[in-house]
Amino acid sequence: MEKNNLRIGLVNWLILLVAAAVTFVAARYVGSASGLVAGVLLAVGFLVALVAYFQMRLEERERLEKLEFDELNRQKGSTNLFSTDEADTFAARQSREMFEKYFVRGFAILLCLGTGFGTWWLWNYLGRAALDVSEERSTIAMTVTGLFGLTLFLIGKYTSGLARLDDQRLLRPCGSYMLFGAYVSFLVTAALALNLVGYPRYDLDLARVLLVLLGLVSAETLLTLVAEIYRPRIKGKVARLLYDSRIVGIVGQPESLFRTAGQALDYQFGFKVSETWFYQTVREKIGQWAAIWAVVLIASTSVVFIEPGEQAVLERFGARTGGLLEPGVHFKAPWPVDDVFRFKTREVQTLNVGFVPQDDDHGKTILWNVAHYKEEFNLLVANRESGTTNASGGVSVPVSLLTVSIPVQYQIRDIDKFAYAYANSGGMLEKVATREVIRYLVGVDLNEVMSTGREEAANNLRTTIQKRSDDLGLGVEILFVGLQDIHPPTKVAEAYQGVIGARQEVEARVLSAKGYAIRTVLIAEAEAQKKINDAEAFAAQRVTGAAATASRFTNQIQAFNASPSVYPMRAYLQTFARAIGPARKYIIATTNSSEVIQFNLEDKIRPDIGDVYIPPGRDEQRAQQLKQQQQPQVPKAP
Amino acid sequence: MNKNRLSLAVGLLLILLFALMLFTFQVRQTEVALVTTFGKPSRTEKEPGLKWKLPWPIQRVLKFDNRVQNFEGKFEETQTRDGYNLLISVYAGWKIEDPSKFRNAFADGSTARATQTFEERLRSEKNAVVGRHPFSHFVSTDPKEMKFSEIEKEIEDAVKQSLLESYGVKISFLGIKRLGLPESVTQKVLERMREERQRFVAKLQAEGLSEAQKIGSGADLERTKLLTAAEAKASAIRGQAESDAAKYLEVFEKNPELALLLQKLSALEASLKDRSTLIFDPRTPPFDLLEGSKVKTSPGTTK
Repeated sequence: MEKNNLRIGLVNWLILLVAAAVTFVAARYVGSASGLVAGVLLAVGFLVALVAYFQMRLEERERLEKLEFDELNRQKGSTNLFSTDEADTFAARQSREMFEKYFVRGFAILLCLGTGFGTWWLWNYLGRAALDVSEERSTIAMTVTGLFGLTLFLIGKYTSGLARLDDQRLLRPCGSYMLFGAYVSFLVTAALALNLVGYPRYDLDLARVLLVLLGLVSAETLLTLVAEIYRPRIKGKVARLLYDSRIVGIVGQPESLFRTAGQALDYQFGFKVSETWFYQTVREKIGQWAAIWAVVLIASTSVVFIEPGEQAVLERFGARTGGLLEPGVHFKAPWPVDDVFRFKTREVQTLNVGFVPQDDDHGKTILWNVAHYKEEFNLLVANRESGTTNASGGVSVPVSLLTVSIPVQYQIRDIDKFAYAYANSGGMLEKVATREVIRYLVGVDLNEVMSTGREEAANNLRTTIQKRSDDLGLGVEILFVGLQDIHPPTKVAEAYQGVIGARQEVEARVLSAKGYAIRTVLIAEAEAQKKINDAEAFAAQRVTGAAATASRFTNQIQAFNASPSVYPMRAYLQTFARAIGPARKYIIATTNSSEVIQFNLEDKIRPDIGDVYIPPGRDEQRAQQLKQQQQPQVPKAP
Repeated sequence: MNKNRLSLAVGLLLILLFALMLFTFQVRQTEVALVTTFGKPSRTEKEPGLKWKLPWPIQRVLKFDNRVQNFEGKFEETQTRDGYNLLISVYAGWKIEDPSKFRNAFADGSTARATQTFEERLRSEKNAVVGRHPFSHFVSTDPKEMKFSEIEKEIEDAVKQSLLESYGVKISFLGIKRLGLPESVTQKVLERMREERQRFVAKLQAEGLSEAQKIGSGADLERTKLLTAAEAKASAIRGQAESDAAKYLEVFEKNPELALLLQKLSALEASLKDRSTLIFDPRTPPFDLLEGSKVKTSPGTTK
C-alpha cells in the first residue's frame, strides 16, 4: 500500500469529521431536521473512515514488516532462522489480525446498535417536536451544506476511483460514505431551497427518508455480522469488510447499479449486453441527461400560466416590476431572479362577522331559539329606554343584546395595496368590518334595527366598511353586506316569539269583537225594523179594524133598531156559543144551595180515561165504510 | 476528458452560485433588511432588490416584514367611569418603522414577542382610557353622547408615541373590535329583555282586550240606539193609529149601550180562547133552558 492511500484515508476521515460537525451545527442553527439527520449520517461515515484508516495503517505496517523479513532472508541466505517461530516474528501481522478479529467486529456491533438506536431516537424526536426551519438562516445553511456536498463529491469520486482501480478494499467504504454524504448534503440544500420558496414540509420528509436509510444501514450491519459467523473461511479469499455497507455503496455510487445490472443481463441473455452500444450510451450519457433535465427544470420556471380569474404580480430580485399579469401564458427570468405571486382577483371572497359557520348547515331550518352556527356572539345594542332602577336600587344597564350573522363579500380591487400594504389584508378587513358592525349597533335601537332599520343598516354598513377600507388602503371592493340573521339571543328568542303570538291573539280578539259588532248591529237593525213593521201592522189593523167595526156597528144599529129586544140576546148567544165551545164546562143543575161541590181545577199531568181517544168500533167502522161506499153509488144526474 | 471538464464546469458553477449566495441577498417588496457587521447594525435596506453584503459571519442580514401587521388584543373586562363592567377588545395595524430599534427591543426580531409586548402596553392604556368615560360614551342612541371614535383615538394616542420610541414601531390605526358584558351581567340583561317582552305582551293583550271591548260595547250601543229609535217610531205609528182609529169611535155614540154590549161580547169571546173551565149556574142563558125538564126541545123528545 502506498503512502498516498494512507494520506487519502486520513483526508477522508478528517473531511467527514468536519463535514459532520459543520452540518450538525448548521442544522441546529437553521433548525433543519434533514440537516440533523445528515449530520448523523456523516458522523457514521467519519467513524467508518477512521476505522478503515487504522486498518490501512496496520496493513501498511504488516507490508513493511514483510518486506523487512524478506530482505533479511535474502541477506543471511537461510530461512531456518525464522521458520520455527513466525508468530513471534510477525508482530504487525498479529496486530492486524487481532484488530480485525476483535476491534472490527466490536466496532460493527457498536455501529449496528448505534445506528439502530439513533434511528429510533431521532424518529421519535422528529415526531415529538418538528423543527421549524428559519428562512433568514436558510441561505447560510444552504451555502455551507452545498459547499461541503461539493467537496465530499469531488474527493469521494477520487477515492472511489482509486479504490476501484487499485483494488483498495479499505478505501471503498470511505469513498462510498463520502459520495453518500455528498448526495445527502445536496438533498439537504435542496430541502432548504424549497423552504425558501414556500415548501417547508419537504425538510421533514427528507429527514424521515434519511432516517429510513440509517435504519437500513443498521439492519444491514446486523445481517453482515450474522453472515460473518457462518461464512466459509477459504484460504486466500479476502472477506468483505464488516463496516462496508452495500446500501451506502449503491446510494453513493449509483453507477455500481449499472455494473450489477449489466452483469445480470449478461448472465440472463448469454452474451455481453453490457458491451452493446445502447447500454454503453445509456451509461455514459445518463449524467448529461440528468444535467439537461435539471436545466429544463430550471428553465420551466421561466414560463408562468395565469389561470382564469387570477391576476399576478412579478418581482425581480424581490422588487415589484412591470404591470399586472393577466390570465394566459407569460415568460419571465428563471427562479430565483424573477418570482410570480398570484391572486384570485375575480373570485368573490367572504368573511363572516358575528358568527363562526357550521361545516355543513345546508337544509336546516333557521329558528331564533335554536343556535344555528358553530359559534354566535352576543353584540351590544343601544336601547332607547334609559336604564331603569332595579329592585336593589341600582340602575340597570341601558343596553340590549343581539345576535347577528353578517357575511361580507368582497373582491380584490387593487393587488398592489392588497398584497404589499398589509401582511394579512383579509384578516385586517375582517377586523375593520367587525368594528364597523359593532360601531353601528351601539348607536341604534334594538327594535329599530330589527325591523324598519334593517335595510338601512345593511346599506350603511356596506358604505362605512368600504369607506374605512379605502381610508386604510386595503385594496378591496365590498360587494355585499348581508344582515341575514339579526335577532335577539337564543335565550330570549322565545319571549320575542311570544310577542308575535300575543299580536295574533290580540288580532283574533279584535276580529272576534268586530264580528260580534257586525252581528249585533245587523240583528238590532232587523229588530228595529220589525218593531216598526209591527207598529205599522198594528196601525193598519187598528185603523182598518176600527173602520170595519164602525161600519159593522152602523149595520148592527140597523139590526138592533129592527129588533131591539131580540138582537142583544141573539148577539149574546151567538158569541156565547162560539166562545165557550172549547172550554171545559161544569153546569151545576142542583137547586139545593146548601150543597157543597168541590172541583179539582188543577191541570192534569197525565190524561185520564176521559181524555183518551177511543177509535170507532167495528160496527161503527163498517157502518162508515158502507156509508162511504154508498155515496159514490148515488145515481148521477142524467 | 470531456466528462471531467463537464464535471469541473458544473462544480465551478455551483461554487460560483454558492459564493454569490454568500455575498448577496434579496430584499422583497414587502421587506426591510437590517445588515449587521459583527453584530452591530451597520445599514438598513428599505428598497427592494438584490443587495451586496460581506459573507457570514462578518455580516448578517435580518429581514423584517415592512407591511402593516395585524394586532388584536384580548377581550378583557374593565370598568367605566360610572361603574359599569365592560368587556372590550381592540385591534390595531402596526409596522416596523425603525428596524434597528425593533431588533434591539426584540432580540430575535420576533413579531410574536413584539405582539406580546404590545399587549402588555396596550392593556394598561386601554383600561385607563375606558375608566375615564361613562358607559353611555360606548353605547347610546344619542349621537351627541356617543364618543366611540374619540375613545379609539384616545387609546391610539396614548400608545402611539411610546411604542415608536421604545420599539421602533408605528401604530397606523387602532379601533375597538368587540364590546361585551360579563357573563353575570349578560344573564341579567337577557332577563330584563325577557321581562320587557313579557310586559309588552301584557300590554298588547290589554290593548287587544280594550279594543275588543270598545268594539263590542259600540255595537251594543248601536243596537240600543237602533232599537230605541225603532221603538219610538213604532210608538208614534201606534199613537197615530190610535188617533186615526178614534175617528171611528164616534159612530158608537149613536147607541152606546149596544156598543158596550158588543164590546163586552167581543171581550168575552177573546178571553175564552185559551183553556178555560167554566162553572155555570143553570140560570145562565142558554143553560136556563135546563131548568125546565119538561120543556119540549124537539118533536117527540124531552130532556
